[in-house]
Amino acid sequence: MSAAIIFIILLVLMLTGMPISISLGLTVLTFLFTLTQVPIESVALKLFTGIEKFEIMAIPFFILAGNFLTHGGVARRMINFASSMVGHWHGGLGLGGVMACALFAAVSGSSPATVVAIGAIILPAMVKQGFPKNFGAGVITTSGALGILIPPSIVMVMYSVSTNTSVGALFMAGVVPGLMLAGFLGFTTWNRARKFGYPRLPKATWLERAKAFKESAWGLFLIVVVMGGIYTGIFTPTEAAAMSAVYAFIVAVFVYKDLSMKDVPKVLLNSANMSAMLLYIITNAVLFSFLLTHENIPQSMADFMMGTGVGMIGFLIMANILMLIMGNFMEPSSIVLILAPILFPIAIALGIDPVHFGIIMVVNMEVGMCHPPVGLNLYVASGITKMGITELTVAVWPWLLTMLVFLVLVTYVPAISLWLPRTLGMI
Amino acid sequence: MNKFLNHLEEWLITFLMGAATLIIFVSVVHRYGTGIDFPLLQDWLLSINMGWAQELTIIMFVWMAKFGAAYGVRTGIHVGVDVLINRLNDKNRGRFIVFGLLAGALFTGIVGTLGATFVLENGAHYQILSWLGMNTGDLYEGPTTPDLEWPTWIVYSAIPCGSYLMCFRFLQVTYSFIKTGELPHHDHGHVDGIEEETLPVDANPYDMGDDLHPHDLKHKQYGEDSDADKGGKQ
Repeated sequence: MSAAIIFIILLVLMLTGMPISISLGLTVLTFLFTLTQVPIESVALKLFTGIEKFEIMAIPFFILAGNFLTHGGVARRMINFASSMVGHWHGGLGLGGVMACALFAAVSGSSPATVVAIGAIILPAMVKQGFPKNFGAGVITTSGALGILIPPSIVMVMYSVSTNTSVGALFMAGVVPGLMLAGFLGFTTWNRARKFGYPRLPKATWLERAKAFKESAWGLFLIVVVMGGIYTGIFTPTEAAAMSAVYAFIVAVFVYKDLSMKDVPKVLLNSANMSAMLLYIITNAVLFSFLLTHENIPQSMADFMMGTGVGMIGFLIMANILMLIMGNFMEPSSIVLILAPILFPIAIALGIDPVHFGIIMVVNMEVGMCHPPVGLNLYVASGITKMGITELTVAVWPWLLTMLVFLVLVTYVPAISLWLPRTLGMI
Repeated sequence: MNKFLNHLEEWLITFLMGAATLIIFVSVVHRYGTGIDFPLLQDWLLSINMGWAQELTIIMFVWMAKFGAAYGVRTGIHVGVDVLINRLNDKNRGRFIVFGLLAGALFTGIVGTLGATFVLENGAHYQILSWLGMNTGDLYEGPTTPDLEWPTWIVYSAIPCGSYLMCFRFLQVTYSFIKTGELPHHDHGHVDGIEEETLPVDANPYDMGDDLHPHDLKHKQYGEDSDADKGGKQ
């Protein structure tokens, strides 16, 4: 009963268009004021202690690191390297775009940022070469989604925060699915380009490739700092994030010289703005999940699901559909923060691995980012290409279909996500 | 006054972001530095205690989060579910936007008050009275943080300060929306930046004309200029 009331209040408040953080907070306040005897003072304290966890602090650091490198220079070097490697095959620059997105995803933890960085440079170049505009837009919008699957990933940190899963294991688990999805998207690009006879690039020599690699290696080394540091135990994930932010600063300002010292405060302010927005959602989501736990909702929902006799397969189908629907209304971080506390206990009760479930959630979020009405990637691509959303939606569908196939694969073949962390002994 | 507040806010969160990064960096370097077997350096490094770094970073980021959230109201970065209200006509959408903003002001106002009460009861009241040289009676002195041993009420005062500031920002945005019909947003500067193939420093992927933010009355979506029911007056 109280579950129904809570969710109805939340739904109504959210649909009025107020910020998600505010509607989560107001739901909690309304419920506590009117229906329970929880001391209301504890709410204010929760607003502070809710984010008093060192693990959460990885989020601002990763945002900062990404922001230092989301500027023309790094993305252009990665595009050069990617297109020197795969540009001579069918799909040319488009295929290079997929690979560049995958590379850039390894320095950025956000999908829209990947679309901005790679798309802003490669889309005009593709149009100049004679690709139709919607082909380029389709490739980049979907490949940009790799940003949250290939580590570092902000959405994965969110999931680990709300379910106490190891960030390191999640990051490791994202590597194989990330490369696989890049392969899938690349194949679709290659196939369509072959069918329509789109331009290819001249084959680069190995010397050119080595040179392009050397140029982009500075940026790519960031992923080595993060993953190597976490895996060998040199850093905790949060420390790795902070180190990567310092590393990104050094690379952007002193090595690549894309930024000057006077741009740095601007980058800091912008990162602080975005992190504060996410941290504010987290605080209120913690409050919300405190309310859910207090009312014993996750537990009773898990019991209910077990009672209906829906197995693992049935539950995963339902979870996928629910997340895809939510993807129509909200952005990934909020969905993870609201759904994870509810779905996670059920998943555990059904014997699904927490890390595997995390990867399923992330891939679902990726799909949601690429279709209307809220697909963030679409809007970013629309800003770059000046194409309308309706037009872009049509342009995206071949790749979106590929992603859905991939989603089914990841959901029902746990080995794709679990093989690497298991081999490395992380889970 | 308002300008001063704006600058203070921006300066504070920029500083907190940069300083927190540096502190963690230094503490990690310190941790591995102490392992280097070099006579004087090692002794010197071992004499420095960096145990407080983690706690200080958390405090700094919580402060950044509270004040950054207030700054975020001014830059219009907070995401919502605006799919439905963006399909409404200008007049009704305007009403919902004002309602949402006032709800934000209400929530942050309540939280600010709750936080202020909490801070007062956990040491602030005692401290203020003892500063004034008055009899503190049986007021609670309040706890301190584990590593830095700072009084927690100072640390927790981020809640009332940040929330009241945020409340003020919501009211400010409401006022200017009613007056001009515009909501705050960054200039969509990154679109201009594309010709020169570089991104401006403040490119912000969360700030495109998407359905996570309410479209204000001057909103315009690319390629849908002819869609009379969506674009509003342009």
